[in-house]
Amino acid sequence: MEGKLSSVAKNFTPSSIQELSQLAQKCNAINLAEGFPDFPAPPCIKEAAVSAINNDFNQYRRVQGICDQLALKMKKTHGLNVNPLTDIAICCGQSEAFAAAIFSIINQGDEVLLFDPCYETYEGCITLAGGIPVYVALEPPQWTLDPEKLMRSFTSRTKAIVLNSPHNPTGKVFSRDELEIIAEGCRRWDCVAITDEVYEYITYDNQKHETIAKLPGMQERTIITSSLSKTFSVTGWRIGWAIAPASAASAIQNIHIRITDSAPAPFQEAALTALRSPIEYFETLRGEYELKRDFCMKLLGSIGFRIQFKPQGSLFLFAELPKDCLLSDVEYVEELIKQAGVVVVPGRGFFHGNESCNYQKRYIRVAFCKSGATLNAAAQKFGELINAKACPKILY
Amino acid sequence: MQAAECTWTHFEMLRPFCFKSPSTTPLFFNFSKHFQKGYSDSSFFRSNWRISNYPSFMATISSVSTHKDPVSTHDATPNITHQPVQVAKRMEKFKTTIFTQMSMLAIKHGAINLGQGFPNFDGPDFVKEAAIQAIKDGKNQYARGYGVPDFNNAIAARFKKDTGLVIDPEKEVTVTSGCTEAIAATMLGLIDPGDEVILFAPFYDSYEATLSMAGAKVKCITLRPPDFAVPIDELKSTISKNTRAILINTPHNPTGKMFTREELNTIALLCIENDVLVFTDEVYDKLAFEMDHISMASLPGMYERTVTMNSLGKTFSLTGWKIGWAIAPPHLTWGVRQAHSFLTFATSTPMQYAATVALQAPDSYFAELKTDYMAKKAILVQGLKDVGFKVFPSSGTYFVVVDHTRFGLDNDIAFCEYLIKEVGVVAIPTSVFYLNPEDGKNLVRFTFCKDEETLRSAVERMKEKLKKK
Repeated sequence: MEGKLSSVAKNFTPSSIQELSQLAQKCNAINLAEGFPDFPAPPCIKEAAVSAINNDFNQYRRVQGICDQLALKMKKTHGLNVNPLTDIAICCGQSEAFAAAIFSIINQGDEVLLFDPCYETYEGCITLAGGIPVYVALEPPQWTLDPEKLMRSFTSRTKAIVLNSPHNPTGKVFSRDELEIIAEGCRRWDCVAITDEVYEYITYDNQKHETIAKLPGMQERTIITSSLSKTFSVTGWRIGWAIAPASAASAIQNIHIRITDSAPAPFQEAALTALRSPIEYFETLRGEYELKRDFCMKLLGSIGFRIQFKPQGSLFLFAELPKDCLLSDVEYVEELIKQAGVVVVPGRGFFHGNESCNYQKRYIRVAFCKSGATLNAAAQKFGELINAKACPKILY
Repeated sequence: MQAAECTWTHFEMLRPFCFKSPSTTPLFFNFSKHFQKGYSDSSFFRSNWRISNYPSFMATISSVSTHKDPVSTHDATPNITHQPVQVAKRMEKFKTTIFTQMSMLAIKHGAINLGQGFPNFDGPDFVKEAAIQAIKDGKNQYARGYGVPDFNNAIAARFKKDTGLVIDPEKEVTVTSGCTEAIAATMLGLIDPGDEVILFAPFYDSYEATLSMAGAKVKCITLRPPDFAVPIDELKSTISKNTRAILINTPHNPTGKMFTREELNTIALLCIENDVLVFTDEVYDKLAFEMDHISMASLPGMYERTVTMNSLGKTFSLTGWKIGWAIAPPHLTWGVRQAHSFLTFATSTPMQYAATVALQAPDSYFAELKTDYMAKKAILVQGLKDVGFKVFPSSGTYFVVVDHTRFGLDNDIAFCEYLIKEVGVVAIPTSVFYLNPEDGKNLVRFTFCKDEETLRSAVERMKEKLKKK
């Protein structure tokens, strides 16, 4: 009966990130792998959800107020004019918004450019829709974008380019110049930019997130996707959106209705409260995560890592293994679980390119969206190992 | 420790065979020309025909539709003269649904909405409280992709209670954002482009749309009034070794038909003979009034080839929570899970905890649910008969289908338009549930998932204002 699986499904493997989390649970390891917080969501947003459930906001709905709030935000933050009645689709998380965006514009055989390394799910969506992922490698150690390499990757079959900034796994925030280069490619080849901006409010060192949609000629060819999840620490609520020119937004909404019909209703209500949070909320969010980022960098430094690229945004640190370490990323992660009881993600799962580059097996991704207690516990474990001088395989 | 087994396999995608014809079409053509390209596609032509035949209805619709004419200049960006974001060919099947259109008209005319199938009363307190508790307890982060373990267990336990089948919650249950997503994930995970899939018309509108996303070839068998029985001869001549799957919705939306044991046995034999998969949508299984609900998976030899789908929404009047699931043997579950992981990745966490509590509700909950709905059904059905409709028997769901022709309107859409504007009541035109709209033009669907006062008011309005011609 295996013959009954579609050819697309046969080629998929389980999400490596999710498998790791399960292993960490089994070993009771400190989880610095999956990108969701282990601290509570903001109380007023939870209260809004509770209130919505009690006030019977429990049937299929589409809360127009979310679109109004988002349109206001786009104007305030990016100076973009977005029509809340026609340009926004509410979906079950950025995951669904992205899937619907892909299904709305990708035909069989269309090429989609992706930067390498990248989040593992994009490729699956593109392939499911009949598209062909084409990777453009960012160059380590600074993950720089090579303009010529990018331009060479566009062909007459390129339909779209996926831009995730702030970036998972590297923590890179694409600069204005880089956005300009990408925009130039889109304009020249008449392509669509599909963005994943879930970490839009998590940037460091006074760096600001900019959306490519605000560049000249880009709003009409950009689909922005984002969600509540990372900004409000509610990754399990499944509230996301796509912002795009009306024809695309309408198409995305129509696909969304056939995939899931509606995003969870009470959480849509709570989203109204969330999106009205005062500016202090976002400043505090940024400040706290910056502290955690710095702590994490020190933590890795203490066991011999030299961090060459300081994350400018997102919740992740993408660190190259110490030069003296002869292990691969997977072997190192294994050792870290066994010796230190800490789990992180081996970087190879984020690389897809055909280039046979050694560096693809030399990175680990550490998530620092964890409580102070968790980070301290990890520090304590490392401290014990350093004092014991007992683990040559993970101490350098 | 399992670390040595190294489950962190490199996420490698083999490139599927891709369409190699070089595109010479300039990328700069606009949206309307893209649609004209679809003229040779018969399904597009059908929808186009439908539009041109019912001009007044569509004119009303367009003023409230969310589908904006893409060729017109956009208010927000006045400098656009063409639309660079060209939507994919599959979007031809993805217009704004009839439900959205009718709901908008209902609001505009202050009509009583017996169209869209969701309750105007709320779910039970014990389930709502469980969700609230889960939120307060911090269950707000990503759930395991294929479901919170306790919930998977509860689904398996419920399935055992309902069908007698013992299943593995870890390997045979996938939690999705509603049954709608279960259907989408099943189609995308198990259907290849070009595969033949059999549908019974009338059908819930998302089936056709998701089948087109999967590139399937749809073969439709029409169920006809008065009893909407399965035409066995037609089924035998349609099903073959080329058939990949057959989709069964029982209890059935919109007719309320429930597939009998004889019908399911016949279909089962044909599926086993021709090695066909069965996808069942059983969301109304607890709203079975005139006979017992039967799951295809419980028939001999059928579990290994069946995906059984269900959800929380209808049974617990919480349609907006989007909690659904698919039950299938491991080799089929695997395909469903892969597609699901790329569609939504994970399902709402607090609601899964609440759903766990819901599925463990005592028998009295389900008994009371049935009693309540049967009372509502009686009000509506008697009322519709008194008004003069020909009412077809509905054994399950909260829908009833009627013949409207004695009121003298040309077709179902015209009748529904008249009903909203002149009478102030909403029904759903059933032609949208057929591949060939002609098959549905005499029928409209009413729902009785509304409180009794609403149902009585609607019946009153119809008695007063609906004149036989």
